[in-house]
Amino acid sequence: MLSRVADNLYWMARSIERAENLARLMQASTELLLDSETLGSRYLNDYWDPILIATAMEEHFRELYPNGTAADVGPFVTLNEENPHSITMCLRDARESARTVRDQISDEMWTELNDLFLFITSRATNSLFQRAPQNVYDRIIQGSLLFHGITDATLARTEGWQFIQLGKYLERADKTSRFLDIRVHGGPDGTSLDSIQWTSILRSASAFGTYRIEVGGEPTAEGVIDLLVFSMDFPRSIRFCVREIDHLLHRISGSPAGTYCNTAEREAGRLLATLNFNGNGEILERGLHDYMDDVQKVLNTIGQSIFETYVLLPQDQLRLTFIPSSEQQQLRWQVLQQQQQQQ
Amino acid sequence: MLLDSYDTEDLFDEMFDGGREVRPHYQLLRERLDTMSREELDQKIKNLETLFIRQGITFTVYGDQRGTERVFPFDPIPRIIPADEWQIIEDGLVQRITALNLFLYDVYHERKILRDKVIPEEVVLSAAHYRPEFVDVDVPRDIYIHICGTDLIRDRDGSYLVLEDNGRCPSGVSYVLENRMAMKRVFPNLFGSAGVRSVDSYAADLLGTLQYIAPHAKPDPVCVLLTPGHYNSAYFEHSFLARQMGIEIVEGRDLIVVDGYVYMRTTRGLLQVDVIYRRIDDDFLDPKVFRKDSMLGVPGLVEAVQRGNVALANAIGTGVADDKVTYAYVEKMIKYYLDQDPILKQVPTFLAWDEKDRGYILDHLPELVVKAANESGGYGMLIGPKASKEEIEKFRQLIIANPRNYIAQPVVYFSRHPTLTDGTVEGRHVDLRPFVLSGERTHILPGGLTRVALKKGSIVVNSSQGGGSKDTWVLHPPRK
Repeated sequence: MLSRVADNLYWMARSIERAENLARLMQASTELLLDSETLGSRYLNDYWDPILIATAMEEHFRELYPNGTAADVGPFVTLNEENPHSITMCLRDARESARTVRDQISDEMWTELNDLFLFITSRATNSLFQRAPQNVYDRIIQGSLLFHGITDATLARTEGWQFIQLGKYLERADKTSRFLDIRVHGGPDGTSLDSIQWTSILRSASAFGTYRIEVGGEPTAEGVIDLLVFSMDFPRSIRFCVREIDHLLHRISGSPAGTYCNTAEREAGRLLATLNFNGNGEILERGLHDYMDDVQKVLNTIGQSIFETYVLLPQDQLRLTFIPSSEQQQLRWQVLQQQQQQQ
Repeated sequence: MLLDSYDTEDLFDEMFDGGREVRPHYQLLRERLDTMSREELDQKIKNLETLFIRQGITFTVYGDQRGTERVFPFDPIPRIIPADEWQIIEDGLVQRITALNLFLYDVYHERKILRDKVIPEEVVLSAAHYRPEFVDVDVPRDIYIHICGTDLIRDRDGSYLVLEDNGRCPSGVSYVLENRMAMKRVFPNLFGSAGVRSVDSYAADLLGTLQYIAPHAKPDPVCVLLTPGHYNSAYFEHSFLARQMGIEIVEGRDLIVVDGYVYMRTTRGLLQVDVIYRRIDDDFLDPKVFRKDSMLGVPGLVEAVQRGNVALANAIGTGVADDKVTYAYVEKMIKYYLDQDPILKQVPTFLAWDEKDRGYILDHLPELVVKAANESGGYGMLIGPKASKEEIEKFRQLIIANPRNYIAQPVVYFSRHPTLTDGTVEGRHVDLRPFVLSGERTHILPGGLTRVALKKGSIVVNSSQGGGSKDTWVLHPPRK
């Protein structure tokens, strides 16, 4: 498979998974807010900050809305096209990636992704969002799940499929770790959260129903960590995702399980071993934030190593006689050349 | 009934003859259309558009900041060509492509036709797309134009005329295939027993053509489609064709030349490439040889081609054959190489390059259509009878400044075809672009792209300028 194609499939899956997770996070957070009306306005203003920090959008938000209030967060995270990390932009990226590899995915996958993109960019959706944001989030979540389901049902289990799954699980593990972190960011550990907040975290990871069945009772720190970090069976737990990543990496390279032939495989194997032998005790002792921070760093290293191993172009190709001065100029120039008239 | 108030306005109409009687090969269609109400038709068209948008069958409009994608407007009333007419077109196109390929071989080798002064040497050597780098370079099987899109129009008496040959990177074939798919899905009852020839074999024939030109007749060659990238207006077509043929679609940065061989970068390392169906202009193919600033090309590709290690379709340098000045000599080429009379006539052409012709052009600008020799997509064109005084003056200066770059033709009369407009059915001008594949043998896709100028009275059919398309039905010969 072409390296560029592998890269595009990986990012297509990551971007759509990211959009889905953002939508669920926004949905759960908005609902939690409705339960917390007694908390007072100071809390209200501080409420969204950790969410913006966890999703790496805080800086952009302050830039675009110097006097931003809680009411600006929803549109900013969801539809704003000047926010490169908004849900709309994630879906745009996913669709652009899919467009460049249309010959490699099934027609049904493309149609669903294209539909979702047309939905999110339509004027009707904009006004729907003013009235009923939850309906917009529902559609995004449904669209992403449908896309993954269609992928599952229509795509051959070849290398392309493996890169798609890699993108999906890496993004999902990263987001689950960030959701766990949101409410404790800055605090010493996670034990001070009340059950309403734990419920919100579970909802962000689509795990509330599973929690009731598998753990039961009011959500507690121990119970949530057991489910979202260590569960072997829940498909959004970090351990589940890392196990899939480890498996996929070995399928791609062909090296036997338990060995490694590149950094991605080594780091994934190591993280999986840690998760296999740790429990909620280690996390609460170390602090949830620090632990999750480490997990995110390893996930980043894995992503970077996948890129270096399978995608990165050797330097010689980049050596051009003509070198545009800035990245922006380069992009513009490339677009201009690509747009050469066809007969 | 939709067609009851239809007026041919005494122009050549595809569906109705001079006496306003429906032509026999349209009879069945007319009967079927008569059973459909306007509402039903509108509903079906809406379904069609949704289908196209959902599938992303779109082209990109340039000059628009957001790179807006549009659906290529589609008219649901099909154009029908009976078997005997098609036979003439097919014979004419085979004759023409044979002559053009012989001409290209000759120009890049012995230059007999120039030495015999059938075509002035300076016309060829001054063509913008003439490539001296390929003089005396052999290309596999001596074929230069493997894929050709020839634009045909119909004269006032209904005879087919060649308007231009597109022998570099002709586009549009994906719309032929998608239009047919859409028609079958939305208007299944129009087909019925009409006896329409299938267009399904195009991708297989194209792949066969590519495989045929593999260097050293290598069996099972690796073929790829080279695209400028997904910002290109025809990107949909590139990925559509690659998918249909089951070959990789690559960008310049996916390819690398090592020791005169071309490889693509895969997750498993480098894989040698034998044949490249390129949809990039010569100019951008290789920054080492052509435009130094090309970011789309592959450094070293030209050398790999010259050494015979990789084949390109179409070959480099075919632009000299579809130059609008060269066009004026194609009938002479056919006579010279094949000793035959041209089956398909072409439009009389005045060359600004020739002093006598230039005088005529400059004196008759308001009556003529002026075209730049190397432009496509309906750009760089003056339609005299519709132009303002300023536009005519602008072209006068352009022609005087650079006569080699301009030709002029009398206004030609495109035929018209009943076309759905807001609220009614009216005649609109159409042309026809059949697609010709030259490999082991010459394949002509039975059909081709019928482009229709949707604006009333307009004869510009290009998609970038308000054109749409129709499904084109070539009929099986009637059973004896």
